[in-house]
Amino acid sequence: MAIEGIAKTALLGVEMGMTLVLVTVGLTLIFGMMDVINFAHGSLYMLGAYFGLTVVTVTGNWWAALLVAPLLVGLLGGLIEYLSIRPLYGRNPLYHILLTFGFAIMLHGLVTEIWGGQVQNIATPSLLEGSVDLVLFSYPLFRLFLLGVSIAVTAALWVAMRRSDFGIVMRASAHDSEMVDALGTDVKRVFTAVFVLGSILAGLAGVLLGTSRAVDPGMAASIIIQAFAIVVIGGLGSYRGAVVGAFVVGMLNAFGPTFAPQFTDALLYLLMAAVLLVKPAGLFGTPEGA
Amino acid sequence: MPSERMSDEKRSVQFSRRKFLAGSGATVAASLAGCFGSAGSSGSDSVKIGFVLPFSGTYSFLGESIVNGVKLRLDEQLDGEIDGRTVEYVRKDTGADPATGASITQEFLQSENVDFIVGPVSSAVAGAMKPEIASSGSAIWLNANAGNFKLVQDNCTKYHFRTSFNTWQTSAPLASYINDNIADNVVLSYANYTFGQQSKNLFREEFEKVGGSVVDEIGAPLGTSDYSSFLQEIENSGADAVFSFFAGSDAVNYIKQFSSFGLNEKMTQTGSGFLLSADTLQAQGTAALGMYSLLHYTPTKQTDRNQAFVDAYSSQYDTTPNVYACQGYDSALAAELAVTEAGGTETDPMVSSLAGAELDSPRGYFKFKSSTHDPVMDMDIRQVVEADGGVQNEVVETLTQVEGPTWGCNL
Repeated sequence: MAIEGIAKTALLGVEMGMTLVLVTVGLTLIFGMMDVINFAHGSLYMLGAYFGLTVVTVTGNWWAALLVAPLLVGLLGGLIEYLSIRPLYGRNPLYHILLTFGFAIMLHGLVTEIWGGQVQNIATPSLLEGSVDLVLFSYPLFRLFLLGVSIAVTAALWVAMRRSDFGIVMRASAHDSEMVDALGTDVKRVFTAVFVLGSILAGLAGVLLGTSRAVDPGMAASIIIQAFAIVVIGGLGSYRGAVVGAFVVGMLNAFGPTFAPQFTDALLYLLMAAVLLVKPAGLFGTPEGA
Repeated sequence: MPSERMSDEKRSVQFSRRKFLAGSGATVAASLAGCFGSAGSSGSDSVKIGFVLPFSGTYSFLGESIVNGVKLRLDEQLDGEIDGRTVEYVRKDTGADPATGASITQEFLQSENVDFIVGPVSSAVAGAMKPEIASSGSAIWLNANAGNFKLVQDNCTKYHFRTSFNTWQTSAPLASYINDNIADNVVLSYANYTFGQQSKNLFREEFEKVGGSVVDEIGAPLGTSDYSSFLQEIENSGADAVFSFFAGSDAVNYIKQFSSFGLNEKMTQTGSGFLLSADTLQAQGTAALGMYSLLHYTPTKQTDRNQAFVDAYSSQYDTTPNVYACQGYDSALAAELAVTEAGGTETDPMVSSLAGAELDSPRGYFKFKSSTHDPVMDMDIRQVVEADGGVQNEVVETLTQVEGPTWGCNL
């Protein structure tokens, strides 16, 4: 394989991985904070794409969709958390699994009812069409934009969690929510905020990927399976794990078809099995799991 | 989707119990039939059609389109009657599960006494339905989408009439056109499952027969959302053209990404018609410009017959028909012809009237081949061109009366 080929594949891997982070971070934050395994996360991603589609159709402006659709998804996520997940905190995690599972099925039906089952796509904004010459090879501009946005969001979140007051409360709540509550912070509001944040990120990913990929009611299922695998590899609840896991899986997706074309489907699960054998809590997971 | 998997499991447990009961019922019914002569279908003044189609999941859109096509003919154009007999429908959802398809079929044949079975969408489901229909012999099977050629190759049954296409027809006939007009070397890319593999293999065989060479083959898992690294392999092959099989959202992802990486400037994309069909083109947009594909139905085909169908369908359903709707419509035409010619709904006389019969299909020439009951039909080679507010397929050449092999079937 020539050097250009390797360089291009590596960039593809970074890009695919970093884009996945937008989805996996929400999933892992929500689990890390509230012990909720959110099966509806893929559906929130799908809604981001469909809201984006409608905003683009109505306003003709892709940038408006990029702003509005994630906020709408965040609002919906907030409502879901406030009305249905909140009453179940502290119960057996199975309740959350069944609840969010139910939401995933309902949202799938709702989307098919409203937007139809046919395949659609958000048109690429003209500003981001075309390719950029990167000396060794050329690369689609929109994908570079995707990569840029993903890196910026990941870095901003990282800094916010380390440095901001809210980040400190978040990490403290994840560690011991009762103590944070006793110290005068309303943990329930922190939980809602985290759920809204996760939903906004999923919605953002939906608009971005709904532009470079097909939008159809099956997109929720295809992303959630991969996202869960990544989160398990990285360690459930770990931010760093979600980022590293997504990065590793991105590389796997990029180099897989070159080196193991017949096994691309299986590679992800083989990796997951291997990680679980060596480190049952995932790469960055805490063994006790609470 | 995990949710679907779980509910399918539940469903199949339920159905297997029902299947057992239905099975024992069948044995009793069959022995009684032996005593009283004809097993008989439903009441003499009605025609009953059973839809065995997906109404949920990935393929629900295809299922709905087929039903729309059938009802356009029977309910709207014939006022719900064939030859003085009232048309009745039953429908059940197969999802994508073969076992469910088989048990619905059994139920329709034995307790609903249907005269026609219309469906399924998936070839895997069709494979599971076939033994039920072949052994029952009490209904005509109008296969409105499942293209697997092996349905005809292995134990072909006279009750099976394909109102759709077979895998050979939507791939192989494009080979000589490509070799003559586009390139003598291709790379193959395909969704790595039965249908994709068959299309790729049948095309390859024909392309090599007409003197072309296949440089490489690249299979991507069904449901891949990012094809970029597969596209790099395609580019590295150095071929002048690509022949592909992808459908639905896979086709949209593949084509969009093919062009965003600039491969459309280096090689000519061709493929089976599902790659660039009416239901994906809008999402593919300008990324699909200039690409070639082969299919038996093109909504933009400029014939009076097709125009009449498109107008009727559009005014009824507020959307342009796709290939699945045409297959549904042709299933209705077949049912109409069978009942009218046979003067009733007795299965064997209907089989005789359909074998070798011609239908006035919107797709163009259409005949059920006597030896296989597969269609003999016109196939369109289309190229994607710009149109008002988007892109559309333009027929560049029509291959007339395309038959294909019989795979040893001789009915």
